Amino acid sequence: MAELGAISLWIALALAAYSTVGSVAGKLRLSPALVESAQSAVYAAALALLVATLSLVIAFISRDFEIAYVAAHSDLAMANRFTWVAFYAGNEGSLLYIGTVLAIMSSIAVWRSPEKFKDAMPYTTAVLMLTLTFFLAVIAVMANPFDKLPFVPLDGEGINPLLTHFGMFFHPPALMAGLIGITLPFAFALGSLLAGKTGDEWVDAGRFWGIISWVLLAAGLLLGSWWAYTILGWGGFWFWDPVENAAFMPWLAITAFIHSVMVQKRRGMFRMWNIVLVNVAFGLALYGMFMNRGGSVPSVHSFGESSLGWIFLIFLAVGVVVPFAIFIWRYPLLKSARNLDSMLSREAAFLVNNLLFLAIAFVTLWGTVYPLLTRLTNDETITVARPFYDQVNGPLMLALVFLMGVGPLIPWRKAGMASVRKTLLPPIIGGLATVGILAALGLHKEYALIGFGLATFVTTGILMEWFRGTRSRHRSSGENYATAFLRLIMANRPRYGGYIVHLSVVMVTLGIVGTSFFSTQVDVVLSPGESVVIENYELVYLGSVETHKGNRTEFISTVQIFRDGDLLETIRPKRDFYPSFNMAATSAAIRSTPVEDLYVVPSENLPDGSVGFRILVNPLIWWMWVAGPVMLVGTVVALWPTRVRAPAPVPTPRRLTPGTRPTTA
Amino acid sequence: MLVVFALFSALALTQIDTLHAQTPEPVAPEGSYSESQAQGIDRMIMCPVCPAETIDQAQVEISFQMRQIVRDMLSQGRDRDEILDFFVERYGKDILAAPPKSGANLVAWLMPIAAVSVGLIAVYLVLRSMTRRGTAPVIAQPVTDAGLIPYLQLVDRHLDMTRSAPQTGSTSNPNSSGVEPLGESPGDSTATDESEANVDQGEQGK
Repeated sequence: MAELGAISLWIALALAAYSTVGSVAGKLRLSPALVESAQSAVYAAALALLVATLSLVIAFISRDFEIAYVAAHSDLAMANRFTWVAFYAGNEGSLLYIGTVLAIMSSIAVWRSPEKFKDAMPYTTAVLMLTLTFFLAVIAVMANPFDKLPFVPLDGEGINPLLTHFGMFFHPPALMAGLIGITLPFAFALGSLLAGKTGDEWVDAGRFWGIISWVLLAAGLLLGSWWAYTILGWGGFWFWDPVENAAFMPWLAITAFIHSVMVQKRRGMFRMWNIVLVNVAFGLALYGMFMNRGGSVPSVHSFGESSLGWIFLIFLAVGVVVPFAIFIWRYPLLKSARNLDSMLSREAAFLVNNLLFLAIAFVTLWGTVYPLLTRLTNDETITVARPFYDQVNGPLMLALVFLMGVGPLIPWRKAGMASVRKTLLPPIIGGLATVGILAALGLHKEYALIGFGLATFVTTGILMEWFRGTRSRHRSSGENYATAFLRLIMANRPRYGGYIVHLSVVMVTLGIVGTSFFSTQVDVVLSPGESVVIENYELVYLGSVETHKGNRTEFISTVQIFRDGDLLETIRPKRDFYPSFNMAATSAAIRSTPVEDLYVVPSENLPDGSVGFRILVNPLIWWMWVAGPVMLVGTVVALWPTRVRAPAPVPTPRRLTPGTRPTTA
Repeated sequence: MLVVFALFSALALTQIDTLHAQTPEPVAPEGSYSESQAQGIDRMIMCPVCPAETIDQAQVEISFQMRQIVRDMLSQGRDRDEILDFFVERYGKDILAAPPKSGANLVAWLMPIAAVSVGLIAVYLVLRSMTRRGTAPVIAQPVTDAGLIPYLQLVDRHLDMTRSAPQTGSTSNPNSSGVEPLGESPGDSTATDESEANVDQGEQGK
């Protein structure tokens, strides 16, 4: 298997390199045959990488410990389903995964490339394949997962126990796919610049792939938070770790992009800006991958550390400088098709939205870089961690939530003050009423009040939009309300899908505000039979059972939860100790309700049978995890291919013809 | 709208100024403290042996001990700053989870504010210059009468559709980048939807 894998890896590298050169040469020499063969090489490279991936999977399943990577990340005791996780547990495998995902996405992009983009597509292909060539060269030369050991060990070292959690099946692959996915909108933008097609031809494909990487990153971040919440055993879900930040920043930039690209799609404006944004996102994605592979900042994700850092740094520098040079070269061609009609318009709101997203990204980058700066300028290092980000990014995020409530209610082009006032009135009343009621109920934390007020403000705005649209369809066509509502959403999917995503952001806001300002935490050591009171709950610790299981010792504690004297539930939080890693993996027992989570995690098991528990009451965090599926639904709605609308007489424009839209969006 | 964002940035500013007031330390009798007060301090101290975790998060022996020290010092009547200073003396400034808001490290806190301010000004200037250019003949007269909007959108839509036939051929024209049609691109059916939605709103406005 090692040989097959290694050979297909080299073949893929050769194909990617050929495709890069062939696309450009074919384009310059006006040879369609060459361009076509370069495109076929994209498919072939994807195929070769699938073979390499499959070889590694088979090597894992057959526990081929002659392969160094398999020996380092699995052992005989490992269940086969963890092969999926073990595959990307180290640098070599995760790079192979990234390369394979890039090759597959590129194949789809080449296959589905819009007809109107034909002139620029060879350049886009070249950008994609150049990136792939880089990754494959790094894998083949510096981090080859098929390298063999000089001997065959009896057993492997085993999989990192922190990875054997359900969330780990999706969090790393989603994030890695999202990061590399940003290459696609970037390649479309750059390809269109190189070809001198500086209009809006690339926008549909750019938006499609932008949203794909956006949703992958968002899902990855949420799953990572969920994983941290349930397994890291301190009761939080996000702590501005450098690697979290590294995935968060490109997500911010790509979020800005998928908003502002709508302005170009609809109005032909912000052409330069969109290209800048997508370049920034790509740079940040490269930076994220650099941080993940031996970056210079300590992080809880350091298990993937290696000496690959410098080569990624070089690629990062090239990946930022060259595109901006090309951008400046093509700058004179990038003229907006239109001018802005008014400062009070959705276009302007989108620009402020972009500013805020980039500001948060900048603060995050600044916080990541600042310790390095202090290390360079004086001898002592200054740490930048959670308190800094909470205090600086918190207000910026609230401002974004506010804008999320305002932006969609402002019409394109130009809004009249009076009509804006009229549309915004109900949401404002809703928000202020929430603040008033909560304050009257005795809530005096001003940031929490603002947070809840804004959540209501946004939700009211979205519901009003839905209600208005549904009612007017109901009145004009006589559809019943349910049909009218569904047809309304189907009639403008990018818009109403966006609203669904906005609702999921409101849910996340609720979770963040709830846990940041209202969580209660108790650390306590309990002997069997002892109890502790937190908020309205009383917890009784009954005892622990210790079991030895192959590579670990499991401690399962039994805890009863009482409220007002009634037994609510018996929970069994777990703590596994892995002697070979000298590491404990906890698994919190969480009694989750939409109002609040009761979170119990054993942090230490003492020899006398008593257990150190960390117990938290986390209000509203349930909404955070529900937001994930809601967001996914919204994205699917927004991306669902729209059908072509045939030209029809003006009075009855609502005629649909069968057949799908030719473009990817 | 920019005014609102100026307000938000002002909010951020005041927050940074009143940062010490943000985690209030109620004047309590000597030696008594609340657990949440202690946890607030835990969250400002990094664990010295684990990467990127505070002593509140870390599950290692030394962080248990340091948490205990925080509580012992609180029960001796020491306040937050004294406790933080105690740890800084022993471990150096990098034990703090955030840069101190004094001296050269104030830069860490002021930089984001400066960046956001510059960004706001830039956005304002860009928007203003884009609007000024907007008085050119591209759109002769901005529509102010709300009652006219549905009608004009209907016209726009009509133009889109009548233009769509010749438009399909023109995409291969390499020089098309400079000259843009006034309406939405023909394949963009969402645009038509959007104007429909606006029509709905327009009806609503009457």
